[in-house]
Amino acid sequence: MKQGFRQSMAWLHTWSGLVVGWVLFAVFVTGTASYYRAEISRWMQPELKREAQVTPEALAAAADLAVVHLQTHAGAARTWFVTLPTPERPLVELFWRNKPGTPPGHVLLDPQTGAPAAMRATRGGDFFYRFHFELNLAPLWGRWIVGICAMVMLVALVSGVITHRRIFADFFTLRRDKAAQRGWLDAHNVSGVLALPFHLMITYTGVVTLALMYMPWGVTAAYKGDQFAYFAETGQITKARPAAGQPGTLAPVGPMVGRALATIPEPLERLTIVNPRDANSTVVAVFEEPHGLSHEHPQVAFAGTSGDVVEVLSGGLKPAAKTFTTMVGLHEAHFAGAALRVLFFLCGLMGCAMVGSGLVLWTVARLPKAGVATGFGWRLVHALNLGTIAGLPAGIAAYFLANRLLPLDLGARAEREVWVFFGAWLAVALVGLWPAPRRAWRGALALVAALFVAVVIVDVATARALWDDPAWFLGFDAALLALAAGFALVSHKVARFAAPRRMRRVMEAPAAAPQMGRA
Amino acid sequence: MTLLVSLGVSFLGFAALCLSMARHHQAVWSGPPDRHRTLTLRAAGWGLIALSLAAAIRFDGWNVGPVDWLGSLIGAGLLLIVVQSYRPRALLWMTPVAAAIALVAALGSLV
Repeated sequence: MKQGFRQSMAWLHTWSGLVVGWVLFAVFVTGTASYYRAEISRWMQPELKREAQVTPEALAAAADLAVVHLQTHAGAARTWFVTLPTPERPLVELFWRNKPGTPPGHVLLDPQTGAPAAMRATRGGDFFYRFHFELNLAPLWGRWIVGICAMVMLVALVSGVITHRRIFADFFTLRRDKAAQRGWLDAHNVSGVLALPFHLMITYTGVVTLALMYMPWGVTAAYKGDQFAYFAETGQITKARPAAGQPGTLAPVGPMVGRALATIPEPLERLTIVNPRDANSTVVAVFEEPHGLSHEHPQVAFAGTSGDVVEVLSGGLKPAAKTFTTMVGLHEAHFAGAALRVLFFLCGLMGCAMVGSGLVLWTVARLPKAGVATGFGWRLVHALNLGTIAGLPAGIAAYFLANRLLPLDLGARAEREVWVFFGAWLAVALVGLWPAPRRAWRGALALVAALFVAVVIVDVATARALWDDPAWFLGFDAALLALAAGFALVSHKVARFAAPRRMRRVMEAPAAAPQMGRA
Repeated sequence: MTLLVSLGVSFLGFAALCLSMARHHQAVWSGPPDRHRTLTLRAAGWGLIALSLAAAIRFDGWNVGPVDWLGSLIGAGLLLIVVQSYRPRALLWMTPVAAAIALVAALGSLV
């Protein structure tokens, strides 16, 4: 069989895109949501009251309170992580890693009292963030699956560019008056070509963020598998200080916070306390990234028992490490201000549109003729398409609804929110088995729109009294309403889908009548 | 604020490139453009896109500037494609508005 290069690439594009499309859609949607991870977290904990500012003294006091809590509740842990309060999020977040095989601990504290904060339990925006690269599976499995899908996506992107015959001539073309297949192809092309720089960047840098996991052999050979030695030598983290095996007492961390703040002019983000009860304990103060593309946190390391500075890490990365951190920085877009973030979000949505329209295009291009039954393959792809494209947004809306509706004192509340997410997703996915495909699409999309409207209504009804900044919460709700409007519009378009044909018949009839009359 | 400059200028550049094509020119004015008009619009389009890159780098530096530029190209392009597909004649008033926004934002950033 002899085929042209372009036909081979078209085949490759079709099938590589289809096989990973469903996972990619979920990764794109949750990744796009992760640009507003902090905002989603804030919306999901409306009890939180922001503060005008957090003084260095308050930071030091909060760090001391955190250590008191950890000494009593996590004395045996290997590592403590203390996220310090910020004006946007005036809370102390504690996380600790126990012996291998024991689950880690996590708690939110009020920085004034040191008591657990009175907040509803939720995973907030962090759930989307982790789902984006772990799919809520065991980290190793999730990261490998997402990584392989991203690598296949690079194949699909390059083969797609080669397949696209009129990339410049059709750059601005979005035909709506032609056959359905033409319209879907135009939508796929426009969302793919226009945002191509973003798609290539985000896919490539996405693989690069976890490249050490996918290709560990360099570090295995040069550092005998000790990734931390590699990170330390490239200047990305401070040098590891192995445990002495002798018990030691941690010096007060408040003064260390003060010295760290005097050393680095960035906002202090968190403390990492390694081997807290060892004679060789280490306290690392980690700062926010300075302005710039590169993802690098300045750090100051202290000897835990004496409180002396042992290392200051601030800039000065070598070119290879700088390249890596710049790629990670571009992927996460922490440097982006409000306006640029909107554009990143828009690009993310175009990525979702590209993957979604590509999946739908597969089924539209293979629609059986009228009267012919659809094959099993077609029905499978259709069901998976509907289950993913309508199911995932329905899950997100249900997750938000659960956040407002589940009782506040419910046990394992945060996990139950996640159950609701997957439950709603699964329920909508079952709609894909409905025998009439178009009606299934229409109903499922209308349901998603209704769910997002319900989120807003329930939010206003139940949480209004808690809002510390009503305009901000109303803005978030307005964004949800815009999403709902988008889904309602698509649902409406799907319903009207046959209209051109019917319209033509209607138009043909009156046109025919006068001729009859004249004759 | 500085992003508005590159957004507005990219929109103008893309609009000129778009209108230099017969199909899109016909949607706004009757008939395809003549050769002279095509070349003028094309040159103006590429010139404006280069100008938006220059503006992004002038206002935001070599570090973030190119990212701003690509972002504004994509955002402006999406707006343009949707408009010329649903309401092509709206370009007649949208281009002056885009020019005005870019100009005001540029003056605001320079002062």
